[in-house]
Amino acid sequence: MIRWSNIKAVVKRELRIMRNRPIYLLGSVVTLAFSALFFLTFFRAGLPEDLPVAVVDLDNSSLSRDFARQMDATQLSKVIKYDSFEEARADMQSGKVCGICLIPKGLFADVQSSRRPVLTYYINGLYFVGGALTYKNVTYMINLADGAVQREILRAKGMNEDAIMGRIQPINIDFHQIGNVYTNYGYYLSNVLLPGVLEMAVIIILIYSLGAELKYGTSRHLLNTAGGSLQTALAGKLAVYTTLFVSMGLILVLLLYDWMHFPINGSIWYMFLDVVLLVLASESVAIFIIGLLPVPRLALSIGALYSILAFSFSGFTLPIEVMPPYISGLAEAFPLRHYFLFYSREVVMGTGFAGWWQEAVHLLLFLFLPVFVLKRLKSAYVLQNFPKN
Amino acid sequence: MKKDNYIKSWFRDFRRLLGHELRLIFTDSGVLIIFLLAGLAYPLLYNVVYLNGNVNDTPVAVVDEAECAESRRFAREVDATRECSVAYRCVNMAEAEDLMKEGKVRGIFYFPPDFGEKLARCETAVVSVYADMSSFLYYKNAMTSGNMVMLQEMRNIQIERYTGSGMSVAQAEQLVQPIPYEENNPYNRTFSYQIFLISAILLVIIQQTLFYGMSLLVGTSREENRSVSSLPGDLQGHGVGRMVIGRGAAYWLIYMAIGLYIAFIVPAIFGIPQRGEFADIVILLVFFVTDCVLFAMSWSILITRRESVFLLFLVVSPICLFLTGFSWPTTAFPAFWKWFSYIFPTTFGCQGFINLSTAGGGLGSASVQFTGMTIQIVVYYFLACTGIYVESWMARKLHHPGNVDKSDNHEEVRM
Repeated sequence: MIRWSNIKAVVKRELRIMRNRPIYLLGSVVTLAFSALFFLTFFRAGLPEDLPVAVVDLDNSSLSRDFARQMDATQLSKVIKYDSFEEARADMQSGKVCGICLIPKGLFADVQSSRRPVLTYYINGLYFVGGALTYKNVTYMINLADGAVQREILRAKGMNEDAIMGRIQPINIDFHQIGNVYTNYGYYLSNVLLPGVLEMAVIIILIYSLGAELKYGTSRHLLNTAGGSLQTALAGKLAVYTTLFVSMGLILVLLLYDWMHFPINGSIWYMFLDVVLLVLASESVAIFIIGLLPVPRLALSIGALYSILAFSFSGFTLPIEVMPPYISGLAEAFPLRHYFLFYSREVVMGTGFAGWWQEAVHLLLFLFLPVFVLKRLKSAYVLQNFPKN
Repeated sequence: MKKDNYIKSWFRDFRRLLGHELRLIFTDSGVLIIFLLAGLAYPLLYNVVYLNGNVNDTPVAVVDEAECAESRRFAREVDATRECSVAYRCVNMAEAEDLMKEGKVRGIFYFPPDFGEKLARCETAVVSVYADMSSFLYYKNAMTSGNMVMLQEMRNIQIERYTGSGMSVAQAEQLVQPIPYEENNPYNRTFSYQIFLISAILLVIIQQTLFYGMSLLVGTSREENRSVSSLPGDLQGHGVGRMVIGRGAAYWLIYMAIGLYIAFIVPAIFGIPQRGEFADIVILLVFFVTDCVLFAMSWSILITRRESVFLLFLVVSPICLFLTGFSWPTTAFPAFWKWFSYIFPTTFGCQGFINLSTAGGGLGSASVQFTGMTIQIVVYYFLACTGIYVESWMARKLHHPGNVDKSDNHEEVRM
């Protein structure tokens, strides 16, 4: 039933359409290239440096000035001095500083006489990365200051330096960030955001390509070219788009793990497999949506909604298990979710086949989706009985 | 007399354009889906997805090769923190690694065999913590919990030692923590993901749905061979200003309503902090919605077909979200992207909304953002005018007789 000559004719027809309408390449290749350029350069620093922190120094002693200097010298923070708490608070509210350290009057004198002055700090948790990093840094610096005071006292008592270290820091933590040693924000986000953009491009472009046949009433011409078989027509169209999207996916993986040297614990070959499966699964979702709703406008709106939600439902920011139970199950319906799980096993943990085969099977299951709508899509193509817009 | 006529005709045209645009909007189901369904339902959906903004009790494994009182207490304390819960106790690292690879635990606390001995010898004992970096929230939990317990245990051990050597508890506390501190995170107490994300995303939804909806209408009119500027044929390219203001007013009215819903009702439903003054936020919305309408009007001129906006500009939504600086701080933006971000109303609108509504600042706390939006409004007003002027000039130049007939027909149908 499927004839090669017909497939070839459909492929030729599709290539002609793509030549005439630059939007197909603009919407896929240019969109992905722009996003890659954006995300890879936007987070280039990896971790933000010199986040502004307000220090309100009411003490102005050698100790308090030393504290501010030390904080300024850290990689994460840049100290901005304020004369009054009100000014600093106003600037924190307007997002100009990430936090405020309030050094009370008489700090140095109180420390000298063991009266334990309280140092107060405020963090703006509404700007997430800046807030969390500043919180970490300020806490760290205050504890260092504690240690420094303690060290002075122990030195004065005549203890040697080695013994002092064990005394002032009995326990230390040695952190190992598996899969992202530098806590690089760019690695973390781009690894999932860019495949998400790829999924988005695949779904939108394919829905549009299939929907445009209905919209411009060319679906019968397509079927004629394909010798009356929808399977042949789809095979021809998919041959073109799969080649395009798979090459985009492969280049993306190469770009991330080879040219940009993103850390990868497993093998890049498995990530090629992952991205190919993501493309195929997304194509199936696209066919499913346009088959279910053969109204191009509606199908595109649904596709847009779906592919934007995929970012949230991949669970790479807020984990899925935290979402309300009636929502978290929906995550299974997004190829990007399974791509992410596959990636987290292979790239972060380096498990190999044993870790991710279930995700691969999940992605393959998406390939059955079009089967349910083929009949409906064919009748829509033949009868053209749905609203065209 | 002449001036009076001008004002009269201005208002007549304005009313006509406003009515025409409203009719276009409310007769197009695609636009209604975007404006009403997406504009109203999207904020709810996002809130439900991020309803539990805090990740609690991240499962971790404990590998205790020290088997001493201190290591057991450390592990117990980790279990007791809000951030982590000890899901497994493993006999060796290999077992814990397997659990981590299966995704059953997101972190590992490893106590080496010499942990207790080092403590006994007054040396620094080291706990190794391994965190799964696939989501930063796992890492953040393991780190926060580990650090908190470490500080707590450090002080306990030090106080035990100093009191053991004859100091009073008060003396030991003075020595161990000479500068106690008080931490405050006034706007987002637990670093809730919901509060910081939703505060930023709400206004992005306003801008993007408005832009998509308007682009759909512009694309449709282009497909039907009507130029967006073809309506006031009698104006012959003169009434560009009333064209922009008249058309814009239709969107402005709809989006002020949607904006009030998004800025006041949605946060109230989901318990997002609303610390701002009502009037301040309404003023912010007036600036922001005006800005968005003119922004959408300027950019939608590029749209030639109904669907092209989805194909070309869908990816702008996540990019806009990052350009608001809600997560990656604005101070760390590369210079180019900082300038690029000034294209979008959300860059200023979202920060303004966060400062006013979530952080509860006065109008002054968003002065930078108001200035930015004012400049954008002026620039986009002139861009929109220029766009429509050029368009109507081209339409008059390139009008083929066939197209005129066609567009006239459509006009009759629509009017």
